Amino acid sequence: MTATASRTAGRRPAARTSGTRPISSDVHRLLPRPLLVVVIVVLLVIVLGPVLYMLFASVNSDVSVAGGAFFPAELHLDNYLKVWTTVDLGTGLANSVLISGSVAIVCAFVALATAYVLVRHEFRGRLTFLRALLGLQSIPGTLMLLPVFVLFSSTASLLGIQIIGTRWAVFLTYLTFALPFSTWVMVTYLRGLPKALEEAARIDGASSWRILTRIIMPLSWPGIVVSGIFAFLLGWNDVLFASVLTNPDSRTAAVALQVFGATQEGGAVPLYGQMMAASLICALPVVVLYLVFQRYLVGGLTSGGVK
Amino acid sequence: MTETTLAAPRGAAAPGGPGAQDAPSGRPGRPARRRRLDTRNRPLWMLLPGGILMVVIILVPLVVAVVMSTLDLDQYTLQSWLQAPFIALGNYVEAVTSSPLLRSIGISVSFAAIASVITLPVGVAAALATQNRFRGRALVRSLFLIPYVLPAFVVGTLWRTMLQPGGVVDGMLGGLGVHPGLWLNGPLSYWTLIIVQIWTSWPFFYLLVVAGLQSVDPEVHEACAIDGATWWIKLRYVILPYLRGPILLALIIAFLHNINAFTLPFVLFGIPAPQDVDVLPVLTYTTSFQSFRFGLSAAMAICSLVLIAIPLFVYLRAVKLDSGEEEQR
Repeated sequence: MTATASRTAGRRPAARTSGTRPISSDVHRLLPRPLLVVVIVVLLVIVLGPVLYMLFASVNSDVSVAGGAFFPAELHLDNYLKVWTTVDLGTGLANSVLISGSVAIVCAFVALATAYVLVRHEFRGRLTFLRALLGLQSIPGTLMLLPVFVLFSSTASLLGIQIIGTRWAVFLTYLTFALPFSTWVMVTYLRGLPKALEEAARIDGASSWRILTRIIMPLSWPGIVVSGIFAFLLGWNDVLFASVLTNPDSRTAAVALQVFGATQEGGAVPLYGQMMAASLICALPVVVLYLVFQRYLVGGLTSGGVK
Repeated sequence: MTETTLAAPRGAAAPGGPGAQDAPSGRPGRPARRRRLDTRNRPLWMLLPGGILMVVIILVPLVVAVVMSTLDLDQYTLQSWLQAPFIALGNYVEAVTSSPLLRSIGISVSFAAIASVITLPVGVAAALATQNRFRGRALVRSLFLIPYVLPAFVVGTLWRTMLQPGGVVDGMLGGLGVHPGLWLNGPLSYWTLIIVQIWTSWPFFYLLVVAGLQSVDPEVHEACAIDGATWWIKLRYVILPYLRGPILLALIIAFLHNINAFTLPFVLFGIPAPQDVDVLPVLTYTTSFQSFRFGLSAAMAICSLVLIAIPLFVYLRAVKLDSGEEEQR
């Protein structure tokens, strides 16, 4: 039964069969060896080809990239210096880190509190809430963009608070849109926690808040980190909302990169080298996060899978 | 919200969990058998922060979207949008009869279906190949994830550069004597979108299949070995039946991912998109923020919601919301 395979977000689905007794690997082999080698080599070439190309092109000259060269004829490491002045990548990255970082922290704790109630307490509408957590995730962003934009602009006319163009606009949007998935990740995580400690605390007269902050939270750090990282990635990767709700001062790195692409239209040779360098810089934090927390993230991904 | 988020909860395909014989529900007011969920001291106020955010920034805008789709909204009437002229289903009629909506729906659905179906064998093959231990397996598994991990805007920028006329892809194919023509414009662009989407999304399928392989009973390997089954027979009649649930679930999720994909086509082709890759999310976006036909765009967005409703419904039915604690319908 699939459900028993890994209930918690943090467990690694890759863990092999129990391994209590030594079984010769031939028996467990799924593919014959030559086929296995072919599959892995082909996939690695397909995966690594474009990634290596990005790396090489980022230190290549624009003319050489435009001419279709894979390897740089000469090293242009200055691409990595120029890129900071060609577009305002520094501001973009700072905004991305600030917005996505605070979204991650706030979202993880809101998700923890929500998930705690959902997992441990019965109330009317609980199943509807759980189902909504899943359903809300697949609502197209393009459907939400315009009404959210209108909603935020009406706060300016009704309350006199200008949200659009500030970091608050994208912060609130990302926070909300990250919540359903992060909460779902926390729900699957909290289900794996034993109840004995809470029950003991309850008998000793601890309040729900105290149980949450003193017992659940210290036990849930892996789940909190996973749901926080997914919230971070949502903010970091978004182009749709940031392209409409930000102005040049609050622009995120993803949008800064788009402006980069757009300004190159129609000119002579586009600044391919710098574009690839900027892409690599934007991708690096995400890839590093993934590789460091891979074990936990993959578990969370398949327990409730997103990017 | 993103085009990529979706859950693939555990045990979606699992029939009758351990709690199947539990009392069906413990609604307050009904003195049902005491279940393990606590009904006293409920800190329901803890639901408020998340609940309020989701209501104000997801549910309210959904209602606003429905209202806007019945109004004649443009950049002049948007400021006081509630006073805009009410035209009932006028936007929908216009969207269906005199806008590229139907063509975009066709492109979106076929693109999403083709891309999901092709990732299936790739993901399954990768999962099977990395299932048995070998030297460097951990590294291979990490590398496999890279295309999925890269932000969609980076994937788009990268492939846009590679597929430029005279770029590296053309250079390599030219070396083989193949000259397929323009990748980023014209009829080929549709396949470009499919290829790049497959490149970036197959690892997710692979992950779900890897998780599904966990459910294969170790004993069946020995049984197969004793019966002398060849690898293909074993795969076809023993292993794949175990994977049917995870694969179907992955197909639905991949389809929903693909049909909502905005960033990749947006970055890969720019806007306005070439006619052959004018997928529904991009069309909705350009109708709003390039043509400023906000009412029409809202109607299109509602159509996209209707479009995903069927796979979403199947998906929500397949998912077991409550693992073991309480059986769901």
